[in-house]
Amino acid sequence: MRLFFELSMRSFQRQLVYRTAALAGLATNFFFGIIRIAVLVALYGTRQEVAGIPLQGAITFTGLSQATIGILSLFSWYDLMTNVYTGAISSDLLKPMSLFHYWLSHDFGRAVGQLLLRGLPMMAAYAVFFGITTPQSLWQWIAFVISLTLAWLVSFAWRFLVNLAALWIPNALGFIRFVFILSWFMSGFLMPLRYFPDWFIRVCNFTPFPYTINTVVEIYLGVLQGPEIVQAILGQIIWGVCLILVGQVVLRLGIRHLVILGG
Amino acid sequence: MEEIIRVENLQKHFRVAKHYRGFVGAFRNLFSADYRLVKAVDGVTFQIKRGELVGYLGPNGAGKSTTIKILAGLLVPTAGNLSVYNFLPWKDRKIYVSHIGAVFGQRTTLWWDLPVIESLDLLRFVYRIPKDRFEMNIKEFRELLDLDPFLDTPVRSLSLGQRMRADLCAALLHDPILLFLDEPTIGLDVVAKENIRQFIHHINFQRGTTIILTTHDMSDVEKLCERVMIIDHGKLLFDGALKTIRTRFGGKRRLLVDFSEMYPDVNVEGAEVTERDGQRAIFEFERGSVTASELIGRLSQKYRIQDLEVREPDIEATIRRIYEEKLLEQ
Amino acid sequence: MRHSLDLYWRLIGVQIRSQLQYRLAFFLDVVGTSLSTILTFATLAFVFQRFGNIAGWTLGEVAFLYGMVEAAFGVMDMLFSGFDPQNFGKQVRLGRMDQLLLRPVDITLQIFGSEFIMRRLGRILQGLLVLGIAIGMVEIHWTATKLIFMPVILVSLVCFFGGLFIIGATITFWTYESIEVVNIFTYGGSEMMSYPMNIYQNWLRQFFTYIIPAIFLVYYPALFLLGKPDPFKMPIFAPFLAPFVGLGVLLVAWLFWNYGLRHYQSTGT
Repeated sequence: MRLFFELSMRSFQRQLVYRTAALAGLATNFFFGIIRIAVLVALYGTRQEVAGIPLQGAITFTGLSQATIGILSLFSWYDLMTNVYTGAISSDLLKPMSLFHYWLSHDFGRAVGQLLLRGLPMMAAYAVFFGITTPQSLWQWIAFVISLTLAWLVSFAWRFLVNLAALWIPNALGFIRFVFILSWFMSGFLMPLRYFPDWFIRVCNFTPFPYTINTVVEIYLGVLQGPEIVQAILGQIIWGVCLILVGQVVLRLGIRHLVILGG
Repeated sequence: MEEIIRVENLQKHFRVAKHYRGFVGAFRNLFSADYRLVKAVDGVTFQIKRGELVGYLGPNGAGKSTTIKILAGLLVPTAGNLSVYNFLPWKDRKIYVSHIGAVFGQRTTLWWDLPVIESLDLLRFVYRIPKDRFEMNIKEFRELLDLDPFLDTPVRSLSLGQRMRADLCAALLHDPILLFLDEPTIGLDVVAKENIRQFIHHINFQRGTTIILTTHDMSDVEKLCERVMIIDHGKLLFDGALKTIRTRFGGKRRLLVDFSEMYPDVNVEGAEVTERDGQRAIFEFERGSVTASELIGRLSQKYRIQDLEVREPDIEATIRRIYEEKLLEQ
Repeated sequence: MRHSLDLYWRLIGVQIRSQLQYRLAFFLDVVGTSLSTILTFATLAFVFQRFGNIAGWTLGEVAFLYGMVEAAFGVMDMLFSGFDPQNFGKQVRLGRMDQLLLRPVDITLQIFGSEFIMRRLGRILQGLLVLGIAIGMVEIHWTATKLIFMPVILVSLVCFFGGLFIIGATITFWTYESIEVVNIFTYGGSEMMSYPMNIYQNWLRQFFTYIIPAIFLVYYPALFLLGKPDPFKMPIFAPFLAPFVGLGVLLVAWLFWNYGLRHYQSTGT
């Protein structure tokens, strides 16, 4: 547990080094946010609410989705794949530590760093320039924080699993990118899933993706109430645990495969 | 032999912005126009004749790579006269560059994803090498550098030694008259180093290619260069024969003696005992005050010697002393 | 010059061959990249299903903008990849520029030929597909002018984005840290132009009308082609400014690039 903390700290500190780059990134994200907001405002037109989401909620959604790009590594995450292809994994395997735990702590630190460097500043900027809605009750806030942490866990779990493809395929980049592209659409990152037809939402629920950004957004905006919140969080936990377990198994198989082949 | 490189009072100055640290510093950086002038090359003058193999030495940051870049046409000098093979390198770049070759120890000149042979073929096209000349060179280099085992391997998969050999081949395919070698043996094992050195010597000897070698490996220098130039802080401190460095600054020579018996006291006129370890003793003596054979003669008259070895002053240590003790600064 | 051009074609050919070697990976790559465009279009379709239209523009009309921008960006990405600012900046700092300067070939053409990424083909094809679907969904009263104008718009867009890439790359001669900001104009710009510009607030729209005239690249040509009224009362020739904007940006980029090259040669990095 202590090791987890140490590794996370290190990863977190490394994030802080890239301060100026973070600022540039923030500006870029913010610009995209402006465009998305304009699109949403134009879409809403005279309507006050669509699919249970008021206009201000939709605007807050853009802020939230931009703010969590870094935390949830929404666009891409190839770190483990690179690690395998450069051979660095061999020296990692020599360390007396579970590979999964190492990457978990590493990603946690990174996520916290991103929260501070991009997430919070982005939400602050949105609050200042566009006005955002906030959770109404303490319970909602708590649920939001829990949900965000679980979202990170689920996100990490599927990213980790997908990167493991590198242990078998010599050029897994295309495959991993493919899965990421799917995730943009099914996680509610581009648009809240509520806007989509029901059948599509049902299809998405067969994947872990909605349980990252979409769940967090819906809890934050208050779209989900009471038992629905509990249900959603439960969904996150189930997906998280399942993916982690599968990940562990696949990791073990993959390492054996790697070792047999000689890296 | 004609001169092909003529450098006169070469100057290269850089304006380096004063960099402020920290958060407040970041703002100062945006608005301040404070510069300091760095004279990377400060009045360097030399001539190099065709066919010479010159070592160009100096500590890091001395101005070595800056000079080389200027000679290669990659950098425009601030002042001074420069002529290489009757070209002004940076001005006539496209034509000039087809007469020179360069090998950088740290990075390759080949295409990363392509098999070696394809890279070489592209280069044939880049340098407009006539087909028969290309075939001849490839044949010769394949043999000399033992390229066959990895001709079809992409450059990114090569070991350091293989990449170096491929780079050397690439640099010479178009029969350049001048070759720049920057750390060509860095990171290689002893055998590989020796092979590369032999190749370099062959190129210089057989083809008359003028070579400028920058390196931190003193064995490279000792085995290849007769002439050495030493630069530090932008100024050329020494330009002459390698032998001279040894004799002028070499310091003491050493004699390692393994005696047949444990002598309590081993003294000899003309030398000083600097180390004793059982039956071994190390003597130091000044070059010029006594010859090695005289010393050996004196020793063998007094003691029974099992084995001995004469050690020249370590050239690296010598050059380091030159930098540190500023022995060359007038 | 001809020698440099010949080398350019060779470099492209060599890269195509080497990428096609890994057939499966290449195929997956193309599929993956095109998936992005198609899925975005699907998202648009879903969203329009629920919202009806956006500021008076139907799905087909928006898809027309989107398809055009995607196809053009894809072409630009394929041709100008060597100038992708983030990659270029990294290469400069790795000393790659010196490597290129040591070859008796034109520098700019070497950079053009240095990165030719086949999988971008996916984006181009999907962009054209979406464009095709869009044309099927809307009613365009085709004339000879409109037909000829279509490729002109595409080329103008390619020149515009290509010029931005080159400007970004040139900036990395001086600084690399915040080069991500260029993405606002390239990727941000393309996202922005995929929607009808009348949805944007005045200040933003005016910036992209008078300072960086992106509004003339796709929006105005679309107004002309789709026969929609101009809400901003621009002069009647506004739609035909597209090629001038595109070429103008490319020209500025070219001049800046040459200046940057000279600067690099006199100061290194």
